[in-house]
Parts: sequence; C-alpha cells; structure tokens
Amino acid sequence: MNPEVLGFWVLAIMLIGSALGVVLTRNLFHSVLWLALGLVSTAGIFLLLDAEFLAAVQVLLYAGGVITVVVFAIVVTEKLVGETIAHTSKRLTGGAIVAAGIFAMIASAISRAELAIGRPEATAEATRSIGVLLLTKYLLPFELLAVLLLAGLIAASYFARPED
Amino acid sequence: MNNPIALILLALLAPMAAFLLIAVVPSLRRAGRPAAIVSIAAVLTSLLSAIRVWLLAGDVTTPIRAAWPWLPAENGALGTVGVLIDPTSTLMLILVTLVATLVQIYSLEYLHTEPPAALGRYYAYQSLFVFSMMGVVIAPNLLQLFICWELVGVCSYLLIGFWYRKPEAARAALKAFWTTKAGDVGLLIGIVLLYRLAGTWDLLELRSMVETGTLAAAGLGVITFCLYLGAMGKSAQFPMHVWLPDAMEGPTPVSALIHAATMVTAGVYLLVRTDFLFKLTPDVLLLVGWIGAITALMAAILACVQTDIKRVLAYSTVSQLGYMMTAIGAGFAGAGFLHLLTHGVFKALLFLGAGAVIHAVHSNEMSDMGGLFKKMPQVAVVFIIGTLSLAGVPLFAGFASKEEVIGATLAGGLTGPFVMLLIAAFLTAFYMFRVVFVVFFGPRKKTDASLHGQEYVHGAVHSHDPGVLMAGPLWILASAALGIGGYFTLNHPESEFTLPGWLTPVAVAVAFGGILMAFLTYERQVISADSLARAFGPIRKAALAKFWIDDIFEGIYRNILLALARGIGWVDRYIVDGVLNVVSAWTLEGGDALRRIQTGRVGDYIFALAAGLLVLMFWMGGSF
Amino acid sequence: MPLSAYLTLAAILFSIGLFGVITRRNTVGILLGVELMLNAVNINLVAFSRFHDTEVGMVFTLFAICITVAEVALGLALVILLFRMRKTAIADHIDWLKG
Repeated sequence: MNPEVLGFWVLAIMLIGSALGVVLTRNLFHSVLWLALGLVSTAGIFLLLDAEFLAAVQVLLYAGGVITVVVFAIVVTEKLVGETIAHTSKRLTGGAIVAAGIFAMIASAISRAELAIGRPEATAEATRSIGVLLLTKYLLPFELLAVLLLAGLIAASYFARPED
Repeated sequence: MNNPIALILLALLAPMAAFLLIAVVPSLRRAGRPAAIVSIAAVLTSLLSAIRVWLLAGDVTTPIRAAWPWLPAENGALGTVGVLIDPTSTLMLILVTLVATLVQIYSLEYLHTEPPAALGRYYAYQSLFVFSMMGVVIAPNLLQLFICWELVGVCSYLLIGFWYRKPEAARAALKAFWTTKAGDVGLLIGIVLLYRLAGTWDLLELRSMVETGTLAAAGLGVITFCLYLGAMGKSAQFPMHVWLPDAMEGPTPVSALIHAATMVTAGVYLLVRTDFLFKLTPDVLLLVGWIGAITALMAAILACVQTDIKRVLAYSTVSQLGYMMTAIGAGFAGAGFLHLLTHGVFKALLFLGAGAVIHAVHSNEMSDMGGLFKKMPQVAVVFIIGTLSLAGVPLFAGFASKEEVIGATLAGGLTGPFVMLLIAAFLTAFYMFRVVFVVFFGPRKKTDASLHGQEYVHGAVHSHDPGVLMAGPLWILASAALGIGGYFTLNHPESEFTLPGWLTPVAVAVAFGGILMAFLTYERQVISADSLARAFGPIRKAALAKFWIDDIFEGIYRNILLALARGIGWVDRYIVDGVLNVVSAWTLEGGDALRRIQTGRVGDYIFALAAGLLVLMFWMGGSF
Repeated sequence: MPLSAYLTLAAILFSIGLFGVITRRNTVGILLGVELMLNAVNINLVAFSRFHDTEVGMVFTLFAICITVAEVALGLALVILLFRMRKTAIADHIDWLKG
C-alpha cells in the first residue's frame, strides 16, 4: 500500500477521533487535550500535503500557543469539571441534525464537483515561495496582520487588567 | 321705479339687510323696539315693491326671468340665482309680504312684555323668514328654491321655539324641523333625479322641455313623487301633519305668519310651480288628490274635539291645505292656488284674532273664555268675518275659492275625494262656529286673567279690545277678506272647468248646515254636546288620541330606528372595530411569541444560524 | 489520495466542530469547537493549494492561523472578564440581551 494512503488513513482516524473527543468529553480539560491531539494530527496532514512550513507553524502556534492560552483560561475560570453531555443542552438532537445536514450538503457538493485526482509534482520550493509571496505580493496583509496582533495584544492586556 | 327685476330684488333684499343689521349689531338687537322698527320698515318696503311689481307685471304672458351665475362650471354655470316674475309669483309675493308686515306690526303689541333682547331676536328671525320665503316664491330654478326652502324650515324652527325655555316649545320646534326635514330629503332626491334626467334646474327651461316633448318620461313618476314628499312635509299632509298642531307652542303672530299664510303654503306653491311636471304623471296626481282629501277630512274631525283655540285653527289649516292639494291632484292647480291666496288672508285673520283673545284672557283654553262679545266687540266682529270666510259663506273670501276647489275635484273625476271634501266643509262650518259660540257668546266665564294671580301691566281686568297696533292689522285683513269675497262672488273667477249648476247651492247648504248644527248645539243647547259625543263615541275617542298617528311615529322611532341604530352600533363595535382589534391583538400576540426566539443565548443563535445556512444551501440548488 | 478525500475529511471535521459549538454549554468549550472548524478550513485551503500547484492557499492558511490565534486570545480574555463579572462561564447563563 502506498505510504501516503496509509498515512492519510491513520491521520484521518486520529483527527476525527480527537475531534469527537473534543466535543463529547464532559471534562473540559480533557477536551483541550483532545484538541491538542487533533491539532497535531492536522500538522501531519499538512506534511502529507507537502506543506512543511505550515505544519511547523501549526504545531508552534496552535498546539503550542492556543492550547496554552486555553488551559490558562480554564484554570482562571475554575470550571475544570464540566457538565455531562446529557444535560449539556437541549440542542443536542437539533445540533446533530444540522451538523449532519451541513456535512451532507458539502459532501454532495464535493461528489458532484470535478476535482483533480492526481497531484502535480512536488517541489521543495514551497516554503521559499511562501516567503517570497509574503514579502512581495501579500506584503500589505502581512503588515496588517502585525497591526492586528498588536491590537489584540493591547486589548487582551487591557481586558485582563486587575480590577481597581 | 319701473324695473320689475330691480323692484323684486329690493323686495327680497330689504328684509335680508334688516336681518343682517339686527343680527350683526348687538346693540340694535338688545334695544328691542328699534330692531322691530328696522324690521317692519324693511318688510313694508318689500310689500310696497311687491304691489308695484304686480301692478307693472302681474299679468305678463311670458314670465320675466333674471339669473346670475353662482356655481361656476365648464359649460355654463351649474347653479344660478335670480328671480322669476309671472302672475303666480307676484300674487304670492303680495300675500307673503302683506301678512308678514301685518304680523310684525301686530307683534309689537302682542309681545310687549318680552325683554328687549328677546324682542330683537324675534324680529331678526322674522326678517330672515320673510327673506327666505320670498326666495322660495321668486326662485327661477329648483336649486335656489330648495336652499330657500331649507332656510324657511330653519326659521320656522327658530320662531316656533322662540320661547325656548319652555320644554314643550323646544320639542315642538324640533318636531316641526324633523318632520319637514323628512319631506325635504324626498325633495332633494327629487331635484337631483330631475337634474339627472333633464340636465337643468331652471323652471322655464323645464317647462319648455315638457311642452316640446323633449323630456324623457322614464323615472318621472319617482321624481314627482319625491317632490311631493317635500310638499307633504311642509304642507302638513297626512301622515306628516303631526308637527303643525304642536307648533302652536310658538307665539300666535308666528302661527299666523307661518302656519296660515306662508310656510305651509310653500308645499302647495311648489306643486303649483311644477304643475307641468305633475301633469305628466297622473298616478302621482291621483295620490296627491286622495291624500289631500284624507287630510282635509281627518283634520276636520280632529278639529271638532279640540279645546285649545289655537289647536282648532291649526287643524283647520291642515284641513284647508288638504283642500288645496286635492284641487291640484284633480289637475286644476289654479283652483288650489286661488284657495291658497284666500286662505292665507282669512286664516291669518283668524289667528291674529285668536291671539287678541289669548292676549286678553291669558289662556289658550276655550273653557277659560266665554261671552267675550261684549268685552271685545272689534275682535269678535273680525273673527266672525274670518269664520264666515272659512266656512265658505257667499260674499266672504273663502266662498268662491272653496267652491272652485270642490268643483275642480268633481271635474277631475275624483268622486271619493269630492264626497270627503263636502263632509269636511260641513265639519269646518260646524267646528268654527263652535268656537265662535263658545268664545264670544254663551255664559261669561268667571276665570278672568286676574284669577291667575298675576300682576300685569294693563290692570286687573284685561278683557278689552286691543290697541291699534293689534286692531289695525285685524281690520285690514278683515277688509281684505270682505273685499276679495265680494269681488269673487260677483265676478266669478274664470276656471278651466265648468261648475255644475247644483254645486253652488249644495256647497252653501252644507256650510249653513254646519253653522246651524253648531248654533243648536252650543248656543241654544238644543242638542246636547254630550249626546253628540256619545253618538260618535268611537270616532271621538280616536280623534282625542289624534288617531294614534303620533304614537305610531314614536313606535317606529323607538322600535325600528333605535333598534336599527343599536344593531348598527353593534356591527360597528364588534365587526368594524372588531376586525381592527383582532388584527391588533394578533400582531401583539405574534410579537410576543416571536420575542421568544430572542433568547439572548449564543448557542441558540448559532444553532439558528447553522440551520439557516442549511436551508439556504438547500434552496440554492444543493441536494442530497 | 485524491483531492476529494481531503475535502471530505475537512467536511467531517467542520461538522463535528459545528456540533460542538451548538451543543457545548461552557464558553471555552464553544471556542474549542470554533478551533476545530477553523482547522477544517485550513486543511481545505492547503489541499486545494497543493492540488492546483499554487502557494497562495498556503499563504492564506498562514494568515488564518495567525488571526485565529489572536481571536482565541481575545475571546478568552472576554471569557475571563465575564467570569469575573458574573461568576459563570456557562454561555447559556449570559442572556441579558433576551428579547
């Protein structure tokens, strides 16, 4: 069997499993850990798609940054033990139906579309191209992103200031 | 002045000017007598102008018409105002102004105890009334006639209810207004339909259309019937006569003016004016004749049981109006018009005479009067002259005209009405002479006014002949009655039909028969009044109940109109308002219900969002 | 694997994330669901980018990741503030905009 196919299936199962874990676990902290697993699996998917740089970024920022922040938030709000799914909400069935419906829509769209089967030749130039693009064609969004992060930083520190 | 049109305008506008002056200048009105002088001067001007016009143009063969545009419209004016001068209108104008002048002079003494402000108000109304009645008389088109007609109705309301603090007077004024208003609705409908049919309101144009045959006959019966409805109301035909007896609550000069000579004659005048239309609808004329005869007979019966002297005269007026209408219904409007003129003179005389008696005795009831011949000989004489005229005795005013009416009825083929009119003539003589014998002859009643315990200006015993302001008009009218009567007895009026030879003796015999009956009953007491009452028991009972006509009207009002109003009110509250209220309630409840989707919870909103997205994707052509 | 496989995987992930967002009571839990959904989007972008031989999709993904990070930070700051004010982190309790 093609290693790529094998890798895909393994990662797919890991990803879907951890996603289910995120939404179904009653313990919030466990959900976060499941999410971490899921994010790492996604990084693996990126690798399968020859996007090494993105895989690295994914691990660094998502798995490293986001998970950490979420853990801190959970700790601060002191709700480590969440509620059971059973009385999680009345929207259980509705949510399931809607989610299933949307999946069905997207899946049908995918099946009807004419999509590429084979992938073109892989090059090792992906990362380089990303860098070049970032600093030439997409320089403005890049800089704006910096501004956004700065704004976020200021806002977050303002929100989290101690009460006086 | 030689211009008839200018003279007529002067006659018309002088009282209007007087009214405006008295109405707009409060100091004049509150002064009382000066206002009266202004009003009398104006109406006297009108009288002199009317006489001059009659001398100038009273026998023109082609009517003189002047009209000024009033309601502008594209193809010529929609409505015009103006004057129409022909023999009918000039004679009527003289009657109106003569009686109005005499009544206004008479009122100065009759109402001398009224406070000046009330007197001013009275004369303002009198001037307005004269103006509006003249407007009806000389109107060249039906639009102006209708407007002045309505104005006459308003003035009658104001004058009948002059003593508005008396509840009976206020009610009577309202009753008069509403009853005539019911007829006026018919008149308006008739006028509008006529306009739709003929395209014009002008009387001369309509007449020429009828003569040349260009007037379509379809629907004309409805039109003439509607016009007749208006006349029924104003001229107190059965069953719309109920307002006239009650209208006696007004001052007696007012009764003389509007219930003898002018306002009630407006209906008859209308029919005389539109006679050419009615000739095209013989069925309606038949109805007019029969109702006229029924009115004449019914009112005569009712007059026999009245104890109030003014009510006797009121029912007598109703009866005579019936005579006029019957003549018109028989197709001889000229006879009806002649009777209108003579009746105006002697009925005004009778009312003013009765007023003198009432003024002396301070009561309307005949039981308070008696043996007044010695105390008030002048009044007695003129009253008897009037009574003889009303009874139709030769040499007096009513004789020829009544004979003409009765002859016309026979000539027109209305034999039933003819018999009814003869019976009514007998009763007329009877009840009028009943009044004469009871009031002026017979035992003196002890109840002089002094017994009422009132102090009044002229001293204790008031039963004497009135002063010159009241006596003058009385003598003028009496002389007119004698003069007209003598003239017509000697020169028989030209009529459009031939009187059968036996008619005159029969009519005279009937009149004298009634007088004899009254003489025997009330003067000589040979026939006792009680036995008469017993003999006609059921009729008498019905007459005392006014034939229950008032009760029928009240029943209709209470049970039908009020019930209808209640029903409509229910529909308005529950259906019309109900629909709105239901819509409003549903909106509010719907809003309340919809409000619940705003739960404020993020999860719900996201769910709604996702579901909406699903629906949207489905709708945009996605499928499973 | 063909492109459709990756897309289907992303779709599954997206639906699961949506389910989590709708059903979770805890605010942080909702944010985790949002993370999943954004992840799915990223996979989509990278897959398309790879199969159509272009790097633009990857640049887009890069931006998406960065912005997501900022968004999470701020969202959690809000959660903490809310917790401070009302002593609750349960989204269903925050219904003051109720109609």
